[in-house]
Amino acid sequence: MVIRVSHLHKSFRVHRREAGWLEAARSLWRRDYRVIEAVKDVSFTIEKGEIVGFLGPNGAGKTTTMKMLAGLLHPTSGEITVGGFVPFEQKPEFKKMMSLVMGQKSQLIWDIPPMETFLVNKAIYDIDDRSFRQTLEELVELLDLAPLLDKPTRSLSLGQRMRCELAAALLHRPQVLFLDEPTIGLDVHTQENVRRFIVDYNREHETTILLTSHYMGDVAALCDRVMIINYGRLIYDGELSVLTEKLAPYKRLEVRFSRVPDMDWGEYGEVAEIEEGTVVLRVAREKAAGTAARLLERFDVRDINIEDPPLEEVITRAFQEERV
Amino acid sequence: MIRKYIALLRMKYIEMLAYRLATFVWMTGAITQPLITMFVWMNIHPEESESFVFYFMAVIFVERMTSAWDVWELDREIREGTFSNWLLRPLHPIHWAIAENIVYKWLFAVILVPVWVAAAVFWPALRPHMTGSQVALFLTAVVFGAALRFLLSYSCGLLAFWVTKVAAVYGVIDVISLFLSGRIAPLEMLPPALREWSEWLPFRYMISFPIEIATGTADGGELARGFAIAAGWMMALIGALQWLWKAGMRKNQAVGG
Repeated sequence: MVIRVSHLHKSFRVHRREAGWLEAARSLWRRDYRVIEAVKDVSFTIEKGEIVGFLGPNGAGKTTTMKMLAGLLHPTSGEITVGGFVPFEQKPEFKKMMSLVMGQKSQLIWDIPPMETFLVNKAIYDIDDRSFRQTLEELVELLDLAPLLDKPTRSLSLGQRMRCELAAALLHRPQVLFLDEPTIGLDVHTQENVRRFIVDYNREHETTILLTSHYMGDVAALCDRVMIINYGRLIYDGELSVLTEKLAPYKRLEVRFSRVPDMDWGEYGEVAEIEEGTVVLRVAREKAAGTAARLLERFDVRDINIEDPPLEEVITRAFQEERV
Repeated sequence: MIRKYIALLRMKYIEMLAYRLATFVWMTGAITQPLITMFVWMNIHPEESESFVFYFMAVIFVERMTSAWDVWELDREIREGTFSNWLLRPLHPIHWAIAENIVYKWLFAVILVPVWVAAAVFWPALRPHMTGSQVALFLTAVVFGAALRFLLSYSCGLLAFWVTKVAAVYGVIDVISLFLSGRIAPLEMLPPALREWSEWLPFRYMISFPIEIATGTADGGELARGFAIAAGWMMALIGALQWLWKAGMRKNQAVGG
């Protein structure tokens, strides 16, 4: 087991200030503090080579947990080990076996080309010439970096920069990779490239990956297992497919007609959408096939599609639950 | 470690070249204050013009060679969360700062030394009268001064884990140091009480002390005492920095998402 977290807590003491001039002046001599519990009693383990999606609404505690795993934050209580190390001890050996990539932050040095950051990392991570050359070659090819290496980082587009960020984070071949919103702000095409890269990289090197994302596309493409955190508590930890079955025990039947019959669909299922020529029905999982057969038999159906409900819908539901 | 430093120095050098204009302005901007102060004193004591010229030219040189800006960098990086960037890497963030200091000061020296030499050709007052051992002691004192200012600046910067906009605190220290380091006037011109203080505080050893060595004001027992006090402050500041670092790491909120 590569990552083990048990009964993890993190609370912050934050200064509370009401809006307005008077309140701002008052806060000069009287400060009110309140304690915010960002992470409450979170426990989980992750095995080598797993890709786990870490989901939750904004402010749920994902990034805080990830920062504790990467050793940036000191837990208030509880235990963490990553690859046998206690992250907040900040041992150089620990830092050499992991990487944290934050979509919102750059580890590349801003005003000089990415290649310079790579060279500094080579020295700092004690990467020998041969493995550096090999790894760089592989990353340049997979991420199509060749034209970017000698341009100042600040002049790269977000997508180009993100590809370079990934390369910088992987040069030392970390065994554990924390990805915090790696596809944020990227266009669909680049998102897909990054996803494909992560999957390939994981398969090739058996890297353990914990990933947060707001894009369900990332989660669907990358993760078999998801953990859902809300208000600092872990409310679900398991397979994505099980979650879908649990929270959305229905299928979507998208039925196309040449002309939609004007009738009550109640006996077939719950209507999700009606548009020109198309009706979308929510039908209980076990009845989906039978319902489709009946529709085909009774109506002039041009096309019929049975699919799982969209992941967004499942996750939104999960976020509303206390415990899944 | 040497390999790491070579890589860091190289990177900082390239980065510095990317900020050519800023580096130049920064370099020349710092010259204005001592230059004006020099003219003021020359106006008050015209009969001592020559020694003021030498003193304040030396202030410009030593001030640049010992200057420290780390408090502003740390203040910004910790407040904005970019400090995490250095923390994630397997090398203590202080080494990045040390490498940066070396590169910039090397550049300052490369510019200032030829300027001094050229000026001394035309302006006899600028010609130093130093023995070989005086030069060695002067350079050692400059390194001590640079270390003291760096340690003070970096330690203050670490306070950013507790206080936002910590550069303001450093601003107060800087004003005190303006007088007690000899930047406004040679320390021998201070009232006796302040002068007494200045010998025990670290500021003298940041700028005035190397100049006193160069002008021959400090020698013999005074010299040994000066180096001992400077070394004592260095130890104290290293201790403070280590403590602040440990405590700061527990306090770190690694802000930003």
